[in-house]
Amino acid sequence: MPHFDPRELRKTVLRMAYAGSTVHIACAFSLIEIMAVLYRSQLRLGDGPRAVDRDYLVLSKGHGVMAQYACLRELGCLTDDELARYFGDGTRLKGLSDAHVPGLEVSSGSLGHGLSVGVGLALAARRKGTDQRVFAIVGDGEINEGSIWEALLFAVHFELSNLVLIVDENGFQAMGSTEEVMNLGDVAAKLVAFGLETRRVDGHDEAALDRTISALVRHPCRRPRAVVARTVKGKGVSFMEADNRWHYTRLTAETYAAAMAELEPPAAKEAA
Amino acid sequence: MRNAFSQALVAAAKRDERVVLLTGDHGYALFDEFRQACPRQYINAGVAEQNMVGVAAGLAKGGLRPLVYGLSAFVPIRVLEQIKLDVCYEQLPVVLLGDGAGVVYSSLGTSHQSTEDVAALRALPHVAILSPADAHEMIACMNLALGATGPVYLRMGKSDLDAVHAAPPAVDWGRLVCVRSGSGPLAWIATGSMVKTALTVAERWPGSEVFSAPCIKPLDEAAIGNICRSHEAVIALEEHSIYGGLGSAVAEIAAAQLPTWVCRIGVQDRFSQYCGSYQYLMQEHGLNVDAVAKQVAAFLARLPQAASFAPSAAANKRAA
Repeated sequence: MPHFDPRELRKTVLRMAYAGSTVHIACAFSLIEIMAVLYRSQLRLGDGPRAVDRDYLVLSKGHGVMAQYACLRELGCLTDDELARYFGDGTRLKGLSDAHVPGLEVSSGSLGHGLSVGVGLALAARRKGTDQRVFAIVGDGEINEGSIWEALLFAVHFELSNLVLIVDENGFQAMGSTEEVMNLGDVAAKLVAFGLETRRVDGHDEAALDRTISALVRHPCRRPRAVVARTVKGKGVSFMEADNRWHYTRLTAETYAAAMAELEPPAAKEAA
Repeated sequence: MRNAFSQALVAAAKRDERVVLLTGDHGYALFDEFRQACPRQYINAGVAEQNMVGVAAGLAKGGLRPLVYGLSAFVPIRVLEQIKLDVCYEQLPVVLLGDGAGVVYSSLGTSHQSTEDVAALRALPHVAILSPADAHEMIACMNLALGATGPVYLRMGKSDLDAVHAAPPAVDWGRLVCVRSGSGPLAWIATGSMVKTALTVAERWPGSEVFSAPCIKPLDEAAIGNICRSHEAVIALEEHSIYGGLGSAVAEIAAAQLPTWVCRIGVQDRFSQYCGSYQYLMQEHGLNVDAVAKQVAAFLARLPQAASFAPSAAANKRAA
């Protein structure tokens, strides 16, 4: 039975990032609790990641894909061996979400694509009369893209109440804080203005996330739903938190060891 | 041709409820019958093409059969990345219908004209490109497109030209349709609106063999290689840029298989300069019958075997 323990998920991300010498660690870390809650108690995956009646987890913010790889490992869809060869020649796991990998629903990385595909999946489910839900995760940098707002107009107009938008609001995008790059102000207020049934939540409080999403999917209304999850970019490793250099910085032997040490449970740290 | 499109679409949607039509708030009057016959399968996605194509991808992933309608200046050009990443990469069965291709919207200007759509899509893996010449080819193309297992772009150009065929021809992936046989030195391969023009101009060179290319991608390379072998020069005609369209595709095959003289007739590397009727603009681009004949004659005159291409004086007289 997978636990989706955030510490373990972050350690998996670090192992991958170190093995592949890759960037985007901080982008994955802000998402960890959101992913953990979705996989642990919200997504109904049926027979597995390609089951026709599954709920969909659409990672529109493809830069956080290592968080999803870590969850797919817990589900048994990816092996440690495959993760250890991350970014190796001839391997299939890429640095951005890729729909050819079972468990990943969309190809992202070019931003503002996945949400529209998720909206289409939600509309298809509605037309087929299934109770499938679509959880679509976007970043607060990604929502600079106009296509995101096109998708929201469409989802509200067609009353896609089976769509749950989750904004990973970590306050940063590639080149700086969202405030200094392209200030969107109060994101939740904008979503409310667009007509989404919207909640704000601490994106690292698993209990609160679970409670909020559970209540939201049951909420009796025909509006699509939205959760603005306030998060910390780089969450979980003190020297990465809210330091945007970790969007692009690669791990060294030293920073890898230091980061892994921080993710040991308190008891293990004391014993050491 | 637009009626043929509409009828084929309505018939398909009635037959199969998975068929859904998405439009970016275009198609005034064109979809009256569809909306009446299949209201649940009609989705106006608003003036938001990027989202529309993403939604179509999601619908296809969810098991539906979307047809995305737009002006060819917007679908595919405005949404090229959505077509690449969301549709082509996953080989989803999405039909993209680009209406008004070429300079059909002659008086509306550059925003509504598209002479680059085929070139843009030809470089994307998995997407097939269909370009019917008349209503008969349109019906055949729609049947192909709606039965496809992957993405298809259907290019609809000037739709009220006279029919090329008397009955629906056999259209299949990659296949050329012979519209006039001949064993003279010249072969003509045209697509869309230019098939009719090719037939007319080719009369000036007796023995010309003329083909319509309702499918631009894939192309039957062996068939085109054979055409190259059995003729001394090939004239390719399209209402599209001479870069990246049918003419380029034919020249690529000719270069690889049997170097043959290929004359590419199309829009030169320029935008339309003036406003005017469709006929006026075709003339501006040198795509009317006389201008095409002149370009072909000039091309042939430069070839070493120019003498063997002597046009028929009688035919010229007739044309004049």
